[in-house]
Amino acid sequence: MVAETHPHDIELFEYVEEELPPARRDEIAAHLATCDVCAEQVMQAAAGREALRETTLLELPEGRREEILRNLPAPERYPRERRGFFSKPLLAGIAALLLVAALAAVLVKTGGNSGMESSAGPTAGGAAEATATSGGGSKAEDAHAAGLFAGGSPEDVADDLQRKGFDASVQQDRVVVHGATKAQVREALADRGPGDVEVVVKNP
Amino acid sequence: MEDPDAPLVERAQRGDRWAFEQLVERHQNRLFTLAARTLGSADEAADAVQEAFIRAWLGLPRFRGGSLFSTWLYRIGVNAAHDQRLKRRTEPLDETHEPADPRDSFQASELSSALQDALNQLDEDYRVAVVLYDVLGRSYAEIAELTEVAEGTVKSRIFRGRSRLAELLGTRTAEE
Repeated sequence: MVAETHPHDIELFEYVEEELPPARRDEIAAHLATCDVCAEQVMQAAAGREALRETTLLELPEGRREEILRNLPAPERYPRERRGFFSKPLLAGIAALLLVAALAAVLVKTGGNSGMESSAGPTAGGAAEATATSGGGSKAEDAHAAGLFAGGSPEDVADDLQRKGFDASVQQDRVVVHGATKAQVREALADRGPGDVEVVVKNP
Repeated sequence: MEDPDAPLVERAQRGDRWAFEQLVERHQNRLFTLAARTLGSADEAADAVQEAFIRAWLGLPRFRGGSLFSTWLYRIGVNAAHDQRLKRRTEPLDETHEPADPRDSFQASELSSALQDALNQLDEDYRVAVVLYDVLGRSYAEIAELTEVAEGTVKSRIFRGRSRLAELLGTRTAEE
């Protein structure tokens, strides 16, 4: 019967931290007065807190800070990673789409002048626009959503995966992983967050 | 909440190395304490800190400021320490070297203390929670965000971690 009335860990924690409303605090205190199990846990938690709070901040060993700064990728590489992957292809794609849309608009206008406005004109314009949309934006987005991408440089991602036991290598700015499932690789890269480096999983 | 690191972060995001060095200076000891207390080894912790700062530098362009920079950095640090622990399972540990620097001696003794022995025996989730809360003074909300669990879970982990820690310390004292 007593077990059913034990407060949850969260409330016992809040009791130790003195975060409970007074009425609930009194109820817990009354329970602790009669329940040795909970009283022991609370006592242990308070003792553990004291032990932890007596510790001091440790200092990064001498020379390590310099090593960290020395090993940061070179500054000129940093901004290139930020914009190098998408900028040129994306801009070229947008330019091509604008050109197609402009040509379509001219064709529509010409068609209208020659008496084809009601049928071919708007349809042609609409079709050109629809093609432009699906050929540029959504397909690229679909590919991005379906594929695996990770943050950092390709070398960095490959190193990370190698450290986690994967057979990974950099091939033409992509990271190729052999002998693993996509789900395993996705999980291994979860801590890196989204990015521009494409990761391809290949199995025999 | 205003992020005290925001001005330096904005500059570092534009590739300003000096600004990032200031962020390293500001957070290096806390990040090292987190890694050292969760790994129980100064060498491994220093490696994890180095890895964390490199990941942070490379990931900064994608940091949107949705959380405090320090919360984001600690999350990277927890993951780097976790990876370091996995690495330990596949590589034999080097022999322990005698620390030359007196500060390193102090830290070596800290990391071989009864408390650290007890911490090493805690589940990783509990160890991370108690170190972040009781040693580094982070809030429940921050810990919940960086470990991706509910605040209630954070409180429960701290409570259980503390209790288990005291139990382990008591056992050791009794054996001595």
